[in-house]
Amino acid sequence: MKNSKIASFFKGLLSLFDVRKWERKSKIIAVVLLSLFVAATAFAFVKPSEQELMDSASQKIRSELKKDETRSRRQVAITYNDLYFINYASFSTSGVKGISEKYVGFAGSVHAADEGAWNVTGQFINYTYRMLGCGQSVLYGAKLTILLTTISIVCGLFIAVFLALGKISKNPIISLPCRAYIFFFRGTPLMIQIFCIYLAVPGIFEGFSWRSLFDNNDPEGVFKGAFVAACIAFVLNSAAYCAEIVRAAVESIDKGQYEAAKALGMSYGQTMSKIIIPQSARRMIPPVCNEFVMMIKDASLVFVIGLMDITTISKTISASGSYLVFIPALVIYLIITAFFTYIFGKIEKKFSVYE
Amino acid sequence: MSMIRTEHVSKKFGHLEVLKDVNLTVENGEVICIIGPSGAGKSTFLRSLNQLEMITGGKIFIEDELFLHREHDRTVDSIDKDKHKALMLEMGMVFQHFNLFPHKTVLENLMLAPMTVKGMNQTEIEPLARQLLEEVGLSDKADEYPSKLSGGQKQRVAIARALAMQPKIMLFDEPTSALDPELVGEVLNVMKKLAEEGMTMLCVTHEMGFAREVADKVVFMADGIIMEEGKPEELFNNPQNPRTKQFLQSIL
Repeated sequence: MKNSKIASFFKGLLSLFDVRKWERKSKIIAVVLLSLFVAATAFAFVKPSEQELMDSASQKIRSELKKDETRSRRQVAITYNDLYFINYASFSTSGVKGISEKYVGFAGSVHAADEGAWNVTGQFINYTYRMLGCGQSVLYGAKLTILLTTISIVCGLFIAVFLALGKISKNPIISLPCRAYIFFFRGTPLMIQIFCIYLAVPGIFEGFSWRSLFDNNDPEGVFKGAFVAACIAFVLNSAAYCAEIVRAAVESIDKGQYEAAKALGMSYGQTMSKIIIPQSARRMIPPVCNEFVMMIKDASLVFVIGLMDITTISKTISASGSYLVFIPALVIYLIITAFFTYIFGKIEKKFSVYE
Repeated sequence: MSMIRTEHVSKKFGHLEVLKDVNLTVENGEVICIIGPSGAGKSTFLRSLNQLEMITGGKIFIEDELFLHREHDRTVDSIDKDKHKALMLEMGMVFQHFNLFPHKTVLENLMLAPMTVKGMNQTEIEPLARQLLEEVGLSDKADEYPSKLSGGQKQRVAIARALAMQPKIMLFDEPTSALDPELVGEVLNVMKKLAEEGMTMLCVTHEMGFAREVADKVVFMADGIIMEEGKPEELFNNPQNPRTKQFLQSIL
């Protein structure tokens, strides 16, 4: 029985990949996503090394770059984005004409920026490229936002089911801790929770640091450690919020369902896993989608522990006077949200097949 | 051997005394219809047999074994856990509002409990489930979701679902009350067939015609006690208790 279930699960999973059964719309979206992915990968390889760029640069540019080495905006670029050459050049489009013509564009070669419209387009493309974090080795920009929110919603929802059932439980030994947990994590700011986990936890457990989770020689270790800490904070936080969503959904199921299950001799666990949770899953989807969209925007809070998401990157770029950056930032957010709303819609449709 | 026997069963919701002192014996193969005005405690009595409500006092025997004995809202004595579960499985229940599982197809509704509770294989239970569906006349609806069915069809599926657990006793809690009048007949026919096959049935109903025709014994309940019980023709044609007379006059 178990085996056949697993088999049918994988069969269902495989049927998702059967392109012939897809709708036309899904096919178009898949093609667009796939080509974006291919493009991103290609750009990652196109990215020339610092040396290459230096070699191809003229004497004038070389001296400009040298002069700028200590400047703060270049510093920012070095710290957070190893594509700083491109970005450096794009910053300079407004100022030094000679540089801009050579270096604006994907990896300095795809797009040459002129005055006017092309200049703006060139900047947009560069900002987008940087915010998405294409071709980079750690989690940046959109990558960070998407990864962080997806992990926190998926894990958070899993924990939330148990929290919600615990809160509903009539046994105070179970329900009180769950209540306290939800009360605490909904009642305190997420930013301070991130601080607590990133800074206070290593303070309490001496000798432990988030950085030490990764190889000492890994230059990105500090970011990866911070990302793990941020993930934990986000998971714990979203679990509390999702628990209330799950609880509302579970409690909205008709009492008759419990009675029917009991009359058929099913235990509490069987009733929950076979009857109540599957039915409430469908009712959870809209509020969970809402929570997800909120979290995409909340992800910018990770700046407090040195991670950069789209909001923070765009703010950093704008600090050097390029306010155009906010427009591609908006567009990226819109695309992410639209994509996940679409996915949630699909899931909802799948769950409401019986209605 | 009596299938169910209750002695001095009482049930209170706070200060409201719904069941006062109910004594009833259900023999093997007997079909009993419980009638009475609303608020008489008919449904509560049926539900307390199935442990959906915990009685506050009295004894329940199932198959002549003491199933539960409670006094003053405390359990004095009850059967051990394994036997409790086994005896619970011998009672099937059909609800007024069907309570089918909306996220499962009709066939899955039938197979779910035998597979999860009894641990049966799908290959074992599917033939039985399909046979039961055929008996209630719904074999063509096996793969439909309950939302696509009419009320009468839903209730017939609910009966088949209870039967899939192969119970010895069937409890019907106003199975036709939520149905459109023209759909009542199909459900009653299924129940009639079941009675003819020798199933022990305990049925709370307002269908006097059905009670008169099918029941071996009719029980009239009011104000939390059994006012009168007897063969249908006796009780309907020659009621002894004034409350019974009043009730029958008001509905006929």
